[in-house]
Amino acid sequence: MKILIIEDEKALAESMAAYLSAEQYLCEFAETFDDAMYKAETFHYDCILLDLMLPGGDGMRILEALKADNKEDGVIIISAKGSLEDRIKGLQIGADDYLAKPFHLPELAARIHSLIRRKSFGNNNLFRQNELKIDLLAKTVLVNDTEVILTKKEYDLLLYFISNKNRVVSKTALAEHLSGDVAGILDNYDFLYAHIKNLKKKLTEAGCDNYLKTIYGTGYKWQS
Amino acid sequence: MIKLLNRPLKVFTLYALLILACSIPVYYFIAEHIWLNELDEHNKTVSGQLKENLLNHSPTDSSLAENIAFWNKLQPVSALKFVPALKPDSIYTSIRKNKYIDDPEEQDRFRGLVSYFSIRDQNLQATVESNVEETHETILAITIITIAFFLLLFIGFIFLNKRISAGLWKPFYRTLDKIKAFELNHHNAVEFDKTNIIEFAELNTSLEKLISKDIATFREQKEFTENASHELQTPLAIIQSKLDLLMQSSELTPEQSRIIDGTEKALGRISRINRNLLLLAKIGNNQFANVERINLNDLVAEQIEMLSDHLATKNTILEYEPEGVVEVNANRILVESLITNLLTNSIRHSTNEGKIVIKLSSDFLIISNTGTGALEKDKLFKRFSSMSSGVQGTGLGLAIIHQICQRYGWEINYFSEDGNHRFRIEF
Repeated sequence: MKILIIEDEKALAESMAAYLSAEQYLCEFAETFDDAMYKAETFHYDCILLDLMLPGGDGMRILEALKADNKEDGVIIISAKGSLEDRIKGLQIGADDYLAKPFHLPELAARIHSLIRRKSFGNNNLFRQNELKIDLLAKTVLVNDTEVILTKKEYDLLLYFISNKNRVVSKTALAEHLSGDVAGILDNYDFLYAHIKNLKKKLTEAGCDNYLKTIYGTGYKWQS
Repeated sequence: MIKLLNRPLKVFTLYALLILACSIPVYYFIAEHIWLNELDEHNKTVSGQLKENLLNHSPTDSSLAENIAFWNKLQPVSALKFVPALKPDSIYTSIRKNKYIDDPEEQDRFRGLVSYFSIRDQNLQATVESNVEETHETILAITIITIAFFLLLFIGFIFLNKRISAGLWKPFYRTLDKIKAFELNHHNAVEFDKTNIIEFAELNTSLEKLISKDIATFREQKEFTENASHELQTPLAIIQSKLDLLMQSSELTPEQSRIIDGTEKALGRISRINRNLLLLAKIGNNQFANVERINLNDLVAEQIEMLSDHLATKNTILEYEPEGVVEVNANRILVESLITNLLTNSIRHSTNEGKIVIKLSSDFLIISNTGTGALEKDKLFKRFSSMSSGVQGTGLGLAIIHQICQRYGWEINYFSEDGNHRFRIEF
């Protein structure tokens, strides 16, 4: 899997690459508008992470060029502007997703995971880990071929964990994933604990190993 | 408070009243003087003619006596009498009933001249009388005329005043209207109409200068907030990403994990404050311009659904009572933000196992929750004036709510009843 990180802040680009490399993603970088335009038009990527404010031009034009060339690369806009109008415009032009800075790296990984899955029909629609099977298209979870009924939020959490497998995901990142900005405002993770408890219970009761480890002080880790 | 032009009107009217009132006795004395003077002259003429004709037509003493007797028969009032000695002429005024006027009540005034002359060594006294207008009648007539003129003056003043204020003060009122309509956060410079009156032209130029300076300062300040918030997003993203990477390290001690956790929470808070500042700046910079018809019933229900987890953890009961379908014309993002902020506020500040009541009708939206003690109304909607220390808010929620309401001309009020908080938005 190839990912192009178009980001002029080196420190941020490196962090993203460091986190994503663990998932067998191959990351390339572009720091300027011209460089980004050249790479995006010349090569194929499974996913392009696009910062809108670049030295030398507006990132939105790269997106427009990609769409004009009918390129099928997935594009996630990562912008400091954070304005919802930008988001709407980006999605209208053809971006697949939009992530406002600052963001959690696990959130980015989850978005990329979901995007690549959507782009490659048939290939990656099944996640399998020993007795656990997830049909990503049908949104069903099977343990030893018996279906486990999960709520929407529990299923969301499970997907989030498997797209960040073997990495620590913080409570804050999870809470924000579930209820957006509101999570932090209320500063209460009880609802999160409740959902995770239920998810764990449903999986273990169906005979699934406990892959979800609690990491003391920080969060959770899905082990595979 | 009275209108500027009404003040001179009042003074002018009082002055006119005073002068006209003073003129009444003056007119009276002048009219009386002229009148009596004329009558005295008239009496003198009549008396002179009488004397002359009596002398001409009375050649003998017997004819004189005959003529006098005849005259006295014809004119009993203006009697001719024989008197022992000549005296100087005298003038008198008398008021008595006039038998030739029908009105029985009427008392008439008479002006008389008593003159003496002698014909052939016989001394005669002749009295000539004329009817004079009575004093009270004169005064009455003058007063009525004066009042009539005063009324004419008064009406004229009002009319002229209106004409003047409509014409002369027009540029001033136009300037005033423009200033009234001016709003700093709309960024539109005010252009005043041209006027050829020096004072107004000066006023307009000074105002134009003042306003354009204000707008420039205001814009700079808002742009600064927006730019500063933008610039902070990337470093915040870097810190967040580094923390996420640090968390992956396998040799973390529990102590280090706790530090990372604490740092992440604080970072989350900075990010939220920054996002909210950015939102405030953007509302202030007139972004979110596109307006659509929004069904508030659905929107509130969606937001409640989104927050159901948080309601459950605090065991808060929520009652939602919409009355009919409520729609508003506004920007969806802003209205969502408004409702979310109101709801999260009420959840955050309600007591555990408390109750939140939402009432929605076409005129208002009320969100009330059980709380502890009233909040300070004056500070409530100001930025960073958060009064509850224990809760990790951004201190910007109510400022955002306030600014969004202001944007659409909705009125927001806070009430406190038995320690319960109630926010009411009037559409």
